[in-house]
Amino acid sequence: MYLIGNISIYLGIVISLYGIIANIVGIKKKSSKWLESARGAVLSLAFVASVASFLLLYLLGTSQFQYKYVASYTNESLSMAYKLTAFWAGNAGSLLLWAFLLSLYAAMVVFSKEKKNPMMPYVSSILMVNILFFFTVMALNVNPFEMTDKIPADGKGLNPMLQNPGMILHPVTLYMGYVGLAVPFAFGIAALILKRMDSEWIKLTRRWTLLAWLFLTLGNVIGGWWAYLELGWGGYWAWDPVENASFLPWLTVSAFLHSVMIQERKNMLKTWNVSLIILSYILTLFGTFLVRSGILTSVHAFGDSNLGTYFLVFMAFMMLFSLYIVMTRYGLIKKDSSPIEAYFSKESSFLLNNLILVAAAFAVFWGTMYPLISETFTGTKVNVGAPYFNKVMAPILLVLIVLMGICPLIAWQKAVFEKFMKSMLWPMAMGVATAIILFAFGVKGIYAVIGLSATSFMFGTHLQEFVRGISARRKATKENILKAAFKLTVKNQRRYGGYIVHIGIAIIAVGVISSHTYSTEILKTVDAGNSIKTGDYILTFNELTEHTKNGNGIVVADIDVTYKGKDIGKIKPEKIFYETWPEPSTEVAIKTNWSQDLYVVLSSWENKDKVTFMVKVNPFVSWIWMGGIIMVIGTAFALIGGRPTTFRYQINKGISRVGGWKK
Amino acid sequence: MMSKNKKIVMGLGLAAVAFVIMMFSTMPSAGSKEITIADLSENGSKYEGDYIMTQGLLNKESVQWDADKLELRFELYEEGQGTLQVFHKGIKPDNFSEDVIVLVEGFIQKDGVFEAEKVQTKCPTKYEGEDMENYDTEMHKEMYKNDKSE
Repeated sequence: MYLIGNISIYLGIVISLYGIIANIVGIKKKSSKWLESARGAVLSLAFVASVASFLLLYLLGTSQFQYKYVASYTNESLSMAYKLTAFWAGNAGSLLLWAFLLSLYAAMVVFSKEKKNPMMPYVSSILMVNILFFFTVMALNVNPFEMTDKIPADGKGLNPMLQNPGMILHPVTLYMGYVGLAVPFAFGIAALILKRMDSEWIKLTRRWTLLAWLFLTLGNVIGGWWAYLELGWGGYWAWDPVENASFLPWLTVSAFLHSVMIQERKNMLKTWNVSLIILSYILTLFGTFLVRSGILTSVHAFGDSNLGTYFLVFMAFMMLFSLYIVMTRYGLIKKDSSPIEAYFSKESSFLLNNLILVAAAFAVFWGTMYPLISETFTGTKVNVGAPYFNKVMAPILLVLIVLMGICPLIAWQKAVFEKFMKSMLWPMAMGVATAIILFAFGVKGIYAVIGLSATSFMFGTHLQEFVRGISARRKATKENILKAAFKLTVKNQRRYGGYIVHIGIAIIAVGVISSHTYSTEILKTVDAGNSIKTGDYILTFNELTEHTKNGNGIVVADIDVTYKGKDIGKIKPEKIFYETWPEPSTEVAIKTNWSQDLYVVLSSWENKDKVTFMVKVNPFVSWIWMGGIIMVIGTAFALIGGRPTTFRYQINKGISRVGGWKK
Repeated sequence: MMSKNKKIVMGLGLAAVAFVIMMFSTMPSAGSKEITIADLSENGSKYEGDYIMTQGLLNKESVQWDADKLELRFELYEEGQGTLQVFHKGIKPDNFSEDVIVLVEGFIQKDGVFEAEKVQTKCPTKYEGEDMENYDTEMHKEMYKNDKSE
């Protein structure tokens, strides 16, 4: 076992090196034999990475504690699901997961129907450089198959905080997003190397990018959900460096998804698009570096400076390489771009959206890196906390929401202003109505009201788009409403998928704005029989009891809850004392109705009749999770259907093809 | 005559500049200085009035918790570097056990006591097992050196 594991890691290094060399030789000699061999290398890499991964899963599943990784993250009494998901609980395993996904993706790319595309050798080489890096790090620094000197009787067990469904999904989804971005990056660079300035690389990778973005979205939302359920501070997002690390590529890829539409249709923004995908890819490495290196003081203590160095070096290398390629090709890209035809057009609105998304990314990056920047210049580390991010990001996100409300109404090329104003009527009315209703109900907080009204306006725009599309179709075809709606969306999956994503964002915005502005929190120590009153809730604390479950001691507080005077049952926050863990861990108790969460934490106790609780009322938090699901559905919808737009404006200048294949 | 593209780029450039100015202007008001325990225990008075973040190890013996008033007092230390008395109005974090790393944010008072607005223990999501005894750093260094010289 030990041998198989280590051999597969070292084979990973050897094969990826060989594959890169075979590609280079194949390109130089124009020999399809060598290129074929390089394809074989990619396939073998997928095989080798699978062997290593399944071996590690097997070791984890059968609790082979002679392996350090197994002993560090699992123990006998852990349930099978968590034994297996400990695969990505630690450094070594998570890097193996990365290598595994990357080599699977690479194999899928290399054996796709585009395999004869002249870009392919370059693409597979770039992917193999990535794979090489991960195998090298595993071999030199964090080997998942390292043995212990003496076999421990039992493992250390998995951190209780990670024993939650959110933690099963969160790392995997985020990784799939991170890794997926390597594919469009590789294609973009390959296109540049070959001086193919058309949009082919974008069309070929559209699905990859969208899929990566879908997983990034999922990863971020699930991360928030996990924090909310498991950490017991009552929030879901703290602008911690680690959270920002996963949010940054999400922002830049979001920008990319919009700007490529312009290139597809209008042959513009070529440099911008290539730069965005490079930036997104670099940010995935940067995020990983940030999380693993411990250079920033964060409550996530992942620190391993060694590993951080590896990532830093690799990131710098990739960055310089990409920069060099872009610089040397810059003139070419510029040569056949079309200019913008009118100020007031979808193109410029997309430009604006891009600018704002990238600005948002820069603001987050700046705030995250500020401690290091300030230390360099002043000698003191200054951390910017949540206040900075909230201050800077709130207006940015507000503008984004307003833009989302406006952009779908603007036509391509040259929009007619009067027509546009007319179509704004209903959504505007919806926004204004929302503001009036909120004020009428005595909702305080001018910024939140503005935010919610803008969100309502944005939602109105999309609602109207659907209604218009359906009624236009019905006029033409006399179909019934449902059929028309179905046909309409299926015929334009990219567009309506995008709209569904926007609607998801509107729902998330409601959750974020409300919970951020109107959450209440009460800390109180109560004696048995006494109550805590908050909002419309009255919580009466009865008693503290103790029992054991799966060998863990559990302390439960029994609380009766009434809402607006009606009894709505019990709520039971817990503290669990895990056998394998020195400290107890909090199990938050949450009661959700459509508009708010009652969020109760058992904080501490003096004796069984005197207990300290934290009670929060968080409005609309469940909307965030719902909005996330809608976003994913919309993305999947756009992913499944839709072909790239035809090139009405594309002037093909007979680009010279290297290698002499025709597609 | 400037082309439309140039004009648009100019406009966007101006917007970007405005944005950067906005960012810088919110900066000082929203930051916390990161100061070491040693520095705070030696010349705490220097930092009066600054919003400070510091981290240290918890001395379990020193924890005093008043449940009725929701007041928490404890001492942080850095091995051989000094100690810091902390006062926090709020709840006690979960894993408040010996030698856990605690992050605090707040203000240092005249009497040298640190009044913390935020108390967090380091999130124990760890990528490295705690037990570093069998960790063969030497071997790694060797491999690393060999790798570099190749």
